[in-house]
Amino acid sequence: MTIKNPDGRNSENHAVASHTLNICTAARNAGLVITPARSIDVFKTLGCIDISDKKEYQLALRLNLASTKEEEIIFDRVFNGYWNNTPESEGDYILANSEMIKGSLDAGLSNEGHRDMISESDSFSEAAVARKANLRMRWDPLAPPLHKLIRELSRRLATRPSRRNQNSPHGTKIDIRKSVRKSVPFGMELINLSRTIPKVRKTRIVLLCDVSGSMDVFNPFLLQLMFGVQKTLKNSRTIVFSTQTNDITPLLRGHDVVDVLAKVSRTVRYWSGGTNIAKALTDVNRNVLAEGFSRSTVLIVVSDGYDTGDIAGVKRELELAKRRTRSIVWINPMYGSSSFEIRAKTMKAAMPYIDEFLPAFNAQSLLKLIAGLKRLS
Amino acid sequence: MDTQQHFHHPFQHMPDIPELFKAHGYIADKAISLTTKIAFDLGKPILLEGEAGVGKTQLAKTLAAILETRLIRLQCYEGLDTSSALYEWNYAKQILAIRLAESSKSKQTEIETSIFTEDYLFTRPLLQAVRHGGPTPPVLLIDEIDRADEEFEAYLLELLSDFQVTIPELGTFEAQVRPIVILTSNRTRELNDALKRRCLYLWVDYPSMEKEQEIIAQHVPEINADLTRSISKLVNNLRSIDFFKKPGVAESLDWAQALLSLRVDSINSQILFDTAGVLLKYKDDIERLKALDMESLIDYKKP
Repeated sequence: MTIKNPDGRNSENHAVASHTLNICTAARNAGLVITPARSIDVFKTLGCIDISDKKEYQLALRLNLASTKEEEIIFDRVFNGYWNNTPESEGDYILANSEMIKGSLDAGLSNEGHRDMISESDSFSEAAVARKANLRMRWDPLAPPLHKLIRELSRRLATRPSRRNQNSPHGTKIDIRKSVRKSVPFGMELINLSRTIPKVRKTRIVLLCDVSGSMDVFNPFLLQLMFGVQKTLKNSRTIVFSTQTNDITPLLRGHDVVDVLAKVSRTVRYWSGGTNIAKALTDVNRNVLAEGFSRSTVLIVVSDGYDTGDIAGVKRELELAKRRTRSIVWINPMYGSSSFEIRAKTMKAAMPYIDEFLPAFNAQSLLKLIAGLKRLS
Repeated sequence: MDTQQHFHHPFQHMPDIPELFKAHGYIADKAISLTTKIAFDLGKPILLEGEAGVGKTQLAKTLAAILETRLIRLQCYEGLDTSSALYEWNYAKQILAIRLAESSKSKQTEIETSIFTEDYLFTRPLLQAVRHGGPTPPVLLIDEIDRADEEFEAYLLELLSDFQVTIPELGTFEAQVRPIVILTSNRTRELNDALKRRCLYLWVDYPSMEKEQEIIAQHVPEINADLTRSISKLVNNLRSIDFFKKPGVAESLDWAQALLSLRVDSINSQILFDTAGVLLKYKDDIERLKALDMESLIDYKKP
């Protein structure tokens, strides 16, 4: 049977299959998770559509291969790149995110930030920033994982009862279903009552990490914290910012640390750049905290607070974030340095909105702080 | 062995699908039409993600209307469990039956057998969908799945794979005909990858100005064409502003209804000022809108 290919040429069936496989491979190389099951679904789908319609072909593939809005954007880029013979760029995620977040690198160029704090005063051009973004150099493979620590932090932050129940002999609520079942051997007499207590609601952490130049020295700690949060609390979100904001949650889901770091490096091109805390908070408020779950969300900001940007904006956005989260925790690794109080105006402006202020700079200091941290109410 | 009946659906020909939707008041673009066709052809669930008010739930309602079948809706929330989603025994009725049986000196085994029957069973949406008879399948709408817990999502994964439910006391129920499953999510959290991979994924975006005009004209036919154009243009412009919650299609339709009931023929800044609460749902957003030059917003042309 001869069918028409999406590129307009007539060819054999195997040509379509070959193109489809190539696109699947290209999409996989661009970071999409294309399992064999998905590829099989794609081929099943081809039987349901008019392959000569390129748009239809593209949509059918996308329906099966993409699972988020960002992945849809990446897939479209891969697909168009394939037919235009242009290889997909390594920075697909950054392009997809930049289309979504609609930021501009130019916005950061006018922001002096805390340039005086950065020892290496490079320009903030994209190329220069990209050169510095080799995160493998900043990863400490010998550092102990923070999983246990994050679990402890999460336990201390989780205080709200859920609507779900768990069995407990000391519970006040009777589980009728279980009680009836237990009564069968006793002639349906309700002798032993099963009791339940409400489960403690899981905390959802939104981790907002400052990756500007002045935080470079704390990068190993930051990276460990990001990995720890994402591995321990699956429903958490990790966002990094300097002059731009990037949600790197999907990237941190991988198992191979080196691979994940490479992906993050490719995505976050502005690592070690300036700082725009107000913009980061605005993006988090608009894109993450607007999603709801305000009573179970804890916003953790890791930043030194060095930002000469829009202080009024920081106040406004923190006030908004305060209403949309259960508590705001600020981890400041610079706390205690001689120049801290003089320069960090943003930090001063933020203080009234912060529930817990933790001057942590590595895993040990965070552990000590958590041990002494009272349960947030 | 596959015991499920085969269903001949009306979405066989792509060119007819938009018309089919339109006849039931839903303006479907090519992506939605194709997703529907593939979902029916392959028997796969559809996962719709998008901002609130862009028509995700409406798609399921429209599909049920087109198929003239039952829409079974499961609204998800935190703490949703199988007793609310699948089935539950009517304990009060069971205990009453036990007391009655005891007074009539029935044997214990007889009591046990009699109280675990369908008379004492509350069937919840998922079981209703599985037990729905053929030949037309029901449309099962699992709304806002992101609001449910991960444990429930894992259970759903199992159910969606074979549409089979086991109730220990009654046995196993298998769907005679596979329900059409629509899952919606407002993206308040990431869903399990395994669940996503079992579904056809579609991001439902805000409609284009032209599509929105069609939607308004379809749902509020009494409104004049000029006003429809102005509404869709203005709402489109509002979406380009960084509001906390941008107005969705639902808000556009509400606004069109509101303007119709106010007997408004054209939009001006005063009208927009007075009715801003129909379009924007946050105090900060309304204040921001009021601080803008509304006239220029009304006349504003997107580049």
